[in-house]
Amino acid sequence: MESLSGDIKTIGAGIAMGLGALGPALGIGILAAKAMESIGRNPEAAGAIRQNMILAIAFAEAVAIYALVVAFLIIFVA
Amino acid sequence: MISKRKIVLISILILSIVGIIGSPILSGFLGSPMAHISIPAEPLLKHSLFGIWNLTNSILVTWIVIIMLTIVSVYGTRNLKETPGRFQCLLESIIEYFVALAEDIGGKNGRKFLPLILTIFIFIVASNWIGILPGFGTIGIFEPAKDYIHHKEEIAEKAQEKLDLKSVKLHIYEGNGFLAILPLGSVNNEIDAHTYEHHGVPKNKRAGVLIPLLRSANTDINTTLAIAIVAMIMIHWWGLRQLGARKHLSKFFTFKGGIVGFFVGLIEAISEIARVISFTFRLFGNIFAGEVLLMTMAFLIPLVGIIPFLGLELFVGLIQAFIFAILTLVFASTATSDEH
Repeated sequence: MESLSGDIKTIGAGIAMGLGALGPALGIGILAAKAMESIGRNPEAAGAIRQNMILAIAFAEAVAIYALVVAFLIIFVA
Repeated sequence: MISKRKIVLISILILSIVGIIGSPILSGFLGSPMAHISIPAEPLLKHSLFGIWNLTNSILVTWIVIIMLTIVSVYGTRNLKETPGRFQCLLESIIEYFVALAEDIGGKNGRKFLPLILTIFIFIVASNWIGILPGFGTIGIFEPAKDYIHHKEEIAEKAQEKLDLKSVKLHIYEGNGFLAILPLGSVNNEIDAHTYEHHGVPKNKRAGVLIPLLRSANTDINTTLAIAIVAMIMIHWWGLRQLGARKHLSKFFTFKGGIVGFFVGLIEAISEIARVISFTFRLFGNIFAGEVLLMTMAFLIPLVGIIPFLGLELFVGLIQAFIFAILTLVFASTATSDEH
């Protein structure tokens, strides 16, 4: 298998990470906004809302982590 | 009279100024070298055991974690009391939290899933937290330059390429013996193999690479894959036991809904496989990215740059372990319910 040259690799990793972070960033923003809104409406449930919000954020964040893994693979393995 | 708060603030300020001045961007007298990033775990022994099995640094840490957890659980349950002491209280509160969670999500089956999810949680959180201790990645076995270059040449030969000596990076270390440590302020110690072969190294020094002795268990993709496979096998085992083989398998292979139903079942089956992959990469990616983040921060701003990120890594390690356990629980409770 022919390996890629350094410049192309760097560009590829940058694009993979940049585009891959776009979706999760929007998702986390929406999640946090909705959670804040519901804490404002119902302050007694703040604890439960916060716990579920963190869990859901971790799911959204995992997608960005996949992009990061791909970027690492492009730089170090490909 | 200076208050304690002020002393802490002033010392943090002094440390950050020293750190920024000593960073490799400015003068570099404190700069730690950018540690070597390797995606596969590095084997510690020259020869594989029994011809097939490499003892890697992440396996060593996995063993250490297992031994530690065994000691803690034996010691913690040796003399249980009616009115618990501090240590027993800590263990009980962890277990009670998960019992409540398992019964909340899993219903009447919840207690059955508890041993697996609690084991997954405790193992992952222990190995994540142990991985950010100092010494991980910085203390290691010294591999002399000659062996390393020879090894690289062999790999290049297999791929039928010519090895570019200038692209092989080596570090200069002091002292002798088979262990080496990455010293503070050694950012300018890097040389490439080409220079090494033509000019050699200064007297009383040696060139080579460091194979880290310890490496956080979950930065090895084999560990996370193993946990994911065990979790998925147990989920399906519970599903088979609860619903019977026919009912459980008819979730994935069915002709009831005609051709559409068949494809829906097929997609369901593929999503089960995708779950293993997503389990694996979520944990591996988070912990590996955390390690790289810590390395980069220690490289950019010595002494202080790493402190906030250590807190972040503690949090990420806990959350990822919790997510792994919770997802196993949720998947198990859907596999044992017959809604389809």
